[in-house]
Amino acid sequence: MSLIEINDLKVHYPIRGGFWNRIVDNVKAVDGVTFNIEAGETYGLVGESGSGKSTTAKAIIGLEKATSGTVMYKGKDVTKGENRRKLDYNHDVQMIFQDSLSSLNPRKRIEDVIAEPLRNFEHLDKEEEKLRVLQLLDIVGLDADALYKYPHQFSGGQRQRIGVARAVATHPKLIIADEPVSALDLSVQAQVLNFMKKIQRQFGISYLFISHDLGVVRHMCKNIAIMTRGRIVEVGTRDDIYNNPMHIYTKRLLAAIPETNVNHREEHRKHRLEIEKIYQEQQATYYDKDGMAFPLVKVSPTHSVALPPHLAKEFEQQSENEGVNV
Amino acid sequence: MKRDIEDVTSISAADLEKLSKEAAAEATPSRAKIMWGEFKADKPAMASLFILIFFILFVIVASMFINTPKMMETNLMGYYAKPFTPEYWLGADSGGRSIAKELIVGSRNSISIAIGLTIISSTFGICWGLISGYYGGMVDLAMQRVYDFMMIIPMLMTIIVIVTIIPHYNAITLTLILSIFYWMGTSRLIRSRTLAESQKDYVAASKTSGTGNLKIIFREIMPNISSLIIVDTTLSFAENIGVETGLSFLGFGLPMGTPSLGTLIANANDPENITGYWWTWFPAALEIIVLCLSISYIGQVMRRATNAAQRRGKQQD
Ligand SMILES: Nc1ncnc2c1ncn2[C@@H]1O[C@H](COP(=O)(O)OP(=O)(O)OP(=O)(O)O)[C@@H](O)[C@H]1O
Ligand SMILES: [Mg+2]
Repeated sequence: MSLIEINDLKVHYPIRGGFWNRIVDNVKAVDGVTFNIEAGETYGLVGESGSGKSTTAKAIIGLEKATSGTVMYKGKDVTKGENRRKLDYNHDVQMIFQDSLSSLNPRKRIEDVIAEPLRNFEHLDKEEEKLRVLQLLDIVGLDADALYKYPHQFSGGQRQRIGVARAVATHPKLIIADEPVSALDLSVQAQVLNFMKKIQRQFGISYLFISHDLGVVRHMCKNIAIMTRGRIVEVGTRDDIYNNPMHIYTKRLLAAIPETNVNHREEHRKHRLEIEKIYQEQQATYYDKDGMAFPLVKVSPTHSVALPPHLAKEFEQQSENEGVNV
Repeated sequence: MKRDIEDVTSISAADLEKLSKEAAAEATPSRAKIMWGEFKADKPAMASLFILIFFILFVIVASMFINTPKMMETNLMGYYAKPFTPEYWLGADSGGRSIAKELIVGSRNSISIAIGLTIISSTFGICWGLISGYYGGMVDLAMQRVYDFMMIIPMLMTIIVIVTIIPHYNAITLTLILSIFYWMGTSRLIRSRTLAESQKDYVAASKTSGTGNLKIIFREIMPNISSLIIVDTTLSFAENIGVETGLSFLGFGLPMGTPSLGTLIANANDPENITGYWWTWFPAALEIIVLCLSISYIGQVMRRATNAAQRRGKQQD
């Protein structure tokens, strides 16, 4: 059984308007997202800005009310507040926020920031608590003198580590990392990422790793979902996504990764332009008349793609002929 | 499979004391220290602070030695006595009552009412605004309708009517009556900041850390709007001195025979007093001006102290 199962999750924001302030339309920030996260793995969720990644994360952790769909954890639907409370859900599931500065209360000392989940979930005495905070600071590579400082006295990378220390304080089983390194420069990115991997090995944490950077995701994740306009367009293993992308949106995202090898630059540029051309031509066929992605079709046991109906039919016939049990 | 924190860090209980000491040495100064440093850097504000504290203490202590009913008796001998005489330091009014004594007791009454009114109305307004802004939705909608209702009531007229209808009232009931009408400005201000503050990620982080709503409101959000609260409260205090004074000036404040700054200034209603007997109203007017100026200086310093970018005090961190 998976650690957590997200099933047809939808989050719609009402747009109010008109004379009676009625609901005239919905922003479909998340519109039918399904995936499972296994214990100990890092699951990547990739998409451009505004595709609904943060909203998905917030709905999973319970910060945003799900319009419909379920998030199953230990056999209970944790989109319901009472189930979250019964399971002590936030003891097990924590979040690292996109914006490290705004996620740390500017009025609180680092000791109080990191101790907050400890105070709520593990009732330690004062000495034990301070010791735990010092140990956590040590784990994330900060000195003890950080204890009584305020968040604004740290650099972006250090703040992100404080966010990580808070997230791991209660030994969670799953950490939702919402673009934990997007605001950092490359060398600090590598530091924080390697550090996240290290604590994953040590504590056996699962991550839902959200990013718009496919290079970073490749480094971190075994399974990846590509999201656009509130829907998932392609799910697969790292190998499926990087070596055999099938949705034009995925192809375009991959082509946009900057090429670091100078010798291949020109080649890479041509490839990118080609993909862009195909994208412009075929865009209409890959989305339905409302601009939404089609339902996912299994193309291999690990790989699903939101193919347009005519391609989807082809695939179904093909698999029937071959008798592949997918 | 899951290992414990102890396995990956070398820090153990033995290091606790040493490390806490190290941390304490590097600690950022406390808020009170920063505020004191800020006062030291601003001489006029320091002077204002001393004037205000000294004055309030003086007025409270001195008024204990004054027998008010006796003081308010008419004394024909002192009819408009001139100031700066041994018996009447600040002269006397038409009833031969000592202005100096009236000023002390009146200041005590006016300031006490202003302090009480500020504490009650600001506390209520802050709570109202915080809760309304934090919960949003239906709670906010309902609470804002109450606010709107209070706003459309003609305040001054209602207070005057209530004061006229109630047969017996004193300083405490008057403070309570006024408090009903003076929390809305604060609540609106606090609500709008709370709305913005609630959207920040640290509130979300507190929720996912398992902190309850009330604790988030008062322990997480409130400290972040403390500069707004401090400035608003000091300004309200200055304003509230004016509220009771104004009512008493109009004759609807404290009951007859209870001196206040307002009744003293009301002496200026008589044109003869304005020119001929200036000592009957001038000291009270001057006092109000000095008080309000001092409070506004202090408010400015407090605002600077709560905002790191504006500080003038020695940088200690
Ligand atoms: N409270 C809200 N009310 C209405 N619409 C919202 C709200 N929050 C988010 N949205 C909309 O939902 C969509 C998804 O937002 P979301 O924050 O999940 O994007 P994202 O994928 O995290 O983007 P980014 O990479 O920039 O963080 C956006 O189009 C946004 O405008
Ligand atoms: Mg986001």
